[in-house]
Amino acid sequence: MRFLRLTVRQAHYNLLGYLRSARTVIFGVLMPVGFLVLFNSVFGGKFKTIPVDGHDISTIAFYTGGLTTYGVMLGTFTGILVAIVGAREAGWLKRFRGTPMPSGVFLAGEIIYLFVTSLGLIIVMLAVSHFGYDLSIRADALLAIFCYTVLGVFAFSAMGLALCRVITTSEMAGSVGPFTVVILSFVSGVFLAPNLLPQWLLTFSSYLPLEPIVTGIQHAIALPTGSGFVLRPFIVLGIWGVVCFVIAQLTFTWEPQRR
Amino acid sequence: MSNVIEVQGLTKRFGSLVAVDDVSFSVRRGEIFGLLGKNGAGKTTTVEILEGYQSPDAGTVKVLGVEPKDGGRLWKDRIGLVLQDSDFDPGHTVAETVNLFAGFFSRPKSVSETLALVGLTDKANVRIGRLSGGQRRRVDVALGIIGSPELLFLDEPTTGFDPSARREFWTMLEGLRSTGTSILLTTHYMEEAQHLCDRIAILATGRIVAEGTASTLIALSGSTSLRFAHDVALDIDAMSSATNLSFRVVGDTLSADLSNSQGDLLRLLHYCEAKGIVLDGLEVVRPTLDDVFLDVTGEPS
Repeated sequence: MRFLRLTVRQAHYNLLGYLRSARTVIFGVLMPVGFLVLFNSVFGGKFKTIPVDGHDISTIAFYTGGLTTYGVMLGTFTGILVAIVGAREAGWLKRFRGTPMPSGVFLAGEIIYLFVTSLGLIIVMLAVSHFGYDLSIRADALLAIFCYTVLGVFAFSAMGLALCRVITTSEMAGSVGPFTVVILSFVSGVFLAPNLLPQWLLTFSSYLPLEPIVTGIQHAIALPTGSGFVLRPFIVLGIWGVVCFVIAQLTFTWEPQRR
Repeated sequence: MSNVIEVQGLTKRFGSLVAVDDVSFSVRRGEIFGLLGKNGAGKTTTVEILEGYQSPDAGTVKVLGVEPKDGGRLWKDRIGLVLQDSDFDPGHTVAETVNLFAGFFSRPKSVSETLALVGLTDKANVRIGRLSGGQRRRVDVALGIIGSPELLFLDEPTTGFDPSARREFWTMLEGLRSTGTSILLTTHYMEEAQHLCDRIAILATGRIVAEGTASTLIALSGSTSLRFAHDVALDIDAMSSATNLSFRVVGDTLSADLSNSQGDLLRLLHYCEAKGIVLDGLEVVRPTLDDVFLDVTGEPS
């Protein structure tokens, strides 16, 4: 009960910081929305549909699903990396360590806060596509989209945590994070239609943590029937998430790192 | 139990460097104890071992009866830490940050009481990014005392303060002591230690080279001296042999150490009276902790 109360306080504290920082709001919300508008105006007229994993889906559904997932990964993976490396560098983690706060509270507070901001981003992105580009989303698919978000926040946060030991400065975190997400996005059907990529690259990216969830969300948004659930993202991202959490558990440190 | 900290034979090495070398001291409940030393003397290493951040290589350490490395949540609930350097999230207000920390402790002070103690009441709703360095340091202290600690660690808390902020800070610490909080303070300001600390230990290259109250340390070291303006017409040798004092010329002043202040002074004044010499700006100077520090460490602080 105390753990829960402290975690909610911590998440609330983080959320306040997020809402007050122009940088996080611009990168977290305006950039994905900007990309959505941009890509849709460039390619929306050229291609009616884009083939994704055996289904032809509308261009707006393709970009809505892809760029939303991109935004979630950018926000959580980069967000947790920058937050933890920065807090460690500033001695903030060390200071927490000296209080009776249970050590899991800090982490749980970060993850819950990232989940809230991710949900916020998804709502904004779906609203822009729905009201701006007539994308209709079935109510049946909303549960699946919600579960994909939970899965994504879990796996991407775990990946960020696993890298905290080797990323020693917040400067490094601020460049490695977005760079990784952009590269991964190019091979995972976010910016480019998958049929433009060579088969070996498609096969390779299907084992990486972004492509399965991008495809899952794109299908949940676009397909006219079904629950929207596919097992593959839960297996691939589940394994990534668990492995990265174990690595993080073994390597995590609260003390500022010497450069 | 009257001692809040017991340190016996504490030693800590980093490679071939012995950072803390066989250090022993104790801090009594309710006192302000000062650890003095230059940068690199081993102050912070010692304090970090007491706080549980580092493990000793040898010796025993008890803080509130517990070995800091085994200090769990109940132990941390009873101590307050102000680390040497740590930064804040600039986007949050002072009150928000202090309130976050209040939640960690079982019997926290109220946020408004804490802010009043550190003199930040009128900054409660100001974002930390807009505070001056000295004000941020007070936020640090607020986070250290919010949990009503029995024992407070302050690692060089007033570095970067202007003189008036430092005075206010001292008053605040005296207020905390009067409520029964024991304080371990490190500093390299001698004046601060002399003003605040009930007892002092001076560290040099990892060893305690002097320990006691400020006045004991001062009494042990150097003697009281007198000085007055140097007049070229003075016959210093004649004055020396008549008064049995050895004078030194330092710039435009003459000074001499006194072994028996009253007698020495009387002889000098008699001599001058008889010779019609006027001593311009005569003063008797007691040594300060600065002199003690110079004495025991062989270097200026």
